[in-house]
Amino acid sequence: MKAALFCTTRYEGPASHTTWPAAGDTYTAEWAEKSMAQTLDQFRLGDEVGFDWLTVAEHHFAPFSMTPNPMVMAAAVINVANRAKIALLGPDIPILDPVRVAEELSMIDTLSGGRIVAGFMRGSPNEYVTYNINPAESRERFQEAYQIIKAAWTRKQPFGWQGRYYEYRTISIWPRPAQDPHPPIYMSVSSPEAGEFAAKNRINAGFAFTTLQIASKAADFYRAKCREYGWEPEPEQIVYRIGMHCADSDDEAIDDLTQTGGGQPAVGLAFRNRAVEGAVSDSGFYGRDQEEQRGRLQTRGEIASRIEKGQVLVGTPETILKQIKRLRDELGVGVLDLALGAQLGDKTMKSIELFGEKVIPRMHEL
Amino acid sequence: MTKPNGKNDFTEATVEVDGFSIRYLEAGTGQPLIWFHGGGGIRLSPVYDNLAKQHRVIAFEIPGFGNSATNDRSENMLALARTMLSAITALGIDSFDLAGTSFGGSLACWIATEAPERVTTLVLCSPAAIRQKPSPGETPKPVTPDMLYHHPERQPPAAPRPAEIAEKELVLMKRLRGPARDAELESRLAELETQTLVLFGTEDQVTPCELGEIYRAIMPACQQVLIYDAAHAIDAERPEAVTAVMQDFLSRHESFLVKDQSGLLYP
Repeated sequence: MKAALFCTTRYEGPASHTTWPAAGDTYTAEWAEKSMAQTLDQFRLGDEVGFDWLTVAEHHFAPFSMTPNPMVMAAAVINVANRAKIALLGPDIPILDPVRVAEELSMIDTLSGGRIVAGFMRGSPNEYVTYNINPAESRERFQEAYQIIKAAWTRKQPFGWQGRYYEYRTISIWPRPAQDPHPPIYMSVSSPEAGEFAAKNRINAGFAFTTLQIASKAADFYRAKCREYGWEPEPEQIVYRIGMHCADSDDEAIDDLTQTGGGQPAVGLAFRNRAVEGAVSDSGFYGRDQEEQRGRLQTRGEIASRIEKGQVLVGTPETILKQIKRLRDELGVGVLDLALGAQLGDKTMKSIELFGEKVIPRMHEL
Repeated sequence: MTKPNGKNDFTEATVEVDGFSIRYLEAGTGQPLIWFHGGGGIRLSPVYDNLAKQHRVIAFEIPGFGNSATNDRSENMLALARTMLSAITALGIDSFDLAGTSFGGSLACWIATEAPERVTTLVLCSPAAIRQKPSPGETPKPVTPDMLYHHPERQPPAAPRPAEIAEKELVLMKRLRGPARDAELESRLAELETQTLVLFGTEDQVTPCELGEIYRAIMPACQQVLIYDAAHAIDAERPEAVTAVMQDFLSRHESFLVKDQSGLLYP
C-alpha cells in the first residue's frame, strides 16, 4: 500500500468556519503566510519521512482551504519535496477551462520531472457558485472536459473542439505532459454515475468524505463495471481519503483530536450555506442516489464512531496499522490519502514523522 | 424556397455527363456548395437545410448510387472526379465550396486536387480518403448502421433500403476507393493550398478521429475540429455543432480561428 499526505492549507487565524462564503473581515496576510508556510513545512517533512504522494485540493471562498488553484500550490510543493509524487485531487474540472487545466498540469508534470497524479473532481456543491456555473450540468461538463484534457495531452497536431459545453477553434498545448502518454488519472467514484464513467474510460478511483460502508458499496459497483468493460483495477488504482493523527499513545492521540474538534477537516462545505446546498440539490447535482450522497457529506460523530466508520485513523503506529489493515481487507484500497486530523504545531509534525517512520514501511509490505 | 418550418425545399433534377444521368438535389441561393455523400447515398441531414440559408447547396448522387444505373465505367477515383467536375460545369458553376462525407470526402479530395483553382474551400466530414490499415490477419469489420451513430436512439427511424442497392454501392466503393494509404492522393493533398476543414466525431468507429492528425500533418492549409460525442454520421448526430463550425469556416475561412461573436453580457 501507499500513503499520501493531504494538507488543506487551512487558514489558522481567526475566521468563520460555519459560513460559506466566509467573509474576509478577519483576514490578515500574516496569518495567511504563516498558514501556507506551515503547509509547506508539513509537505517537506512528509517527503523526507517517506510519504509516497503529497496531496493538494481545490476549494473556494473559505478558510477551510486556501488553495483555490491547486496547481499553484503544487508548483510550490515541488520546491520543498524532491522525491514524492504530487497528487492534485482537484482540480474541479467542470468549473474551469479544461485547456488551461491541461496546460497547467503539463507544466507541473514537466517542472517536477513527471511526478504528478491528476485527480479530476466535480467538486463540492458550493463550488458551482464560485464561477457561476449551473450545477445541473456538472456531470456532462465533467465528462466533456475530461475528454478535452485527454485529447490536449495526447494529440500531436492542433485540433479544434465542437462540444456541447466547450468550443475551441484550435488547441495545441506546450508544454506537454512529462509522463507518457499522460499522468495517471483518478476521479471520485462515490456515485454510480461516476463509477460507470470511470470504468468505461479506464480511470482510477477515489473516495473522500465518505464512510467505509458507503465506499465499499461504491467500490464493488466500480469493480463490477470495470469487469464489464474488460479490465480489473489494481489496488493502487483506488485511493481512499481519511483523517489521520498519530502519537506515542492512543490516549494522547485521541485527546489531541478531541481538542481540535474531532478530527477530519470539517465536512461538507456546502452545508454551511443551506440556501446554496438546497438549490444545488434541487438541480439534480447529486444524481440518482441523492439521499445517500447528501448523507455521506454530513456524517459527524464521536471519535470512536468515526474510527468505526473508517473516517479517521487515530492512535499509535501499531493501532493505526490495525485500522489500515481493515481498510485494505474491506475496501481493497491501495492508496490512503491522509488528511491531517489535527493542526497542533509540533504535535502534528510529530504525527507526520511517526507515521512516516513507523507505519509507511509496513504499509509498503501490505 | 424556405418553408415556414425553416426547412428548405430541395428540388430534384438530373444532368447528363459522360454518358451518366446524374441526379442531384438543390436548395438555396448564393455561393455554390457542392456536397458529396458517403456510402448509403444522399442523406439530407439538418446541416444541409441550415447551410442552404446562405448557400446554393447541391447534393449530387454519385453515379452508381441509389437508383442510378450500375457504374462499371468510372475507372478510378480520378476519373470519377473528372466526371463530377464536368457535371458541376454543366450546371454553369465555375468556382464553388466543396464538401464531402466519408467516401464522398475521398471523392472531394480528388476533385479539389484536380481543379484547385475552382475550389474556394474544402470541408471533409469523417473523410475516408485516408483509412486505418487493417492489422495483419485482421478482416475489416463491415460498416453496419449502428456504427454510424453514437446515440442511435436520438435518430429518426431510417427508411429501409433495398439490399441490392446497398450491395451495388459497396461493390462500386470497394472497386474505386484505392488503398488505405494512397501515396498518390496523399502527395496531391500535400500540394493542395486550398483552405481545408476536416471534421471527425470523437466516437467514430468507421474512420477513427485519430485519422484527423494525418490530414492536419500533411496538408498545408488544414484545420481539424473534433465533433464531441458523435460517431461517423457527425452531421446527423450533432447538426447544430456541425452547422456552426461549417458556416463559420465557409464564411471566414482561416479567420474562423478568431472568435467574432461578442462576449458582452449586459450593455
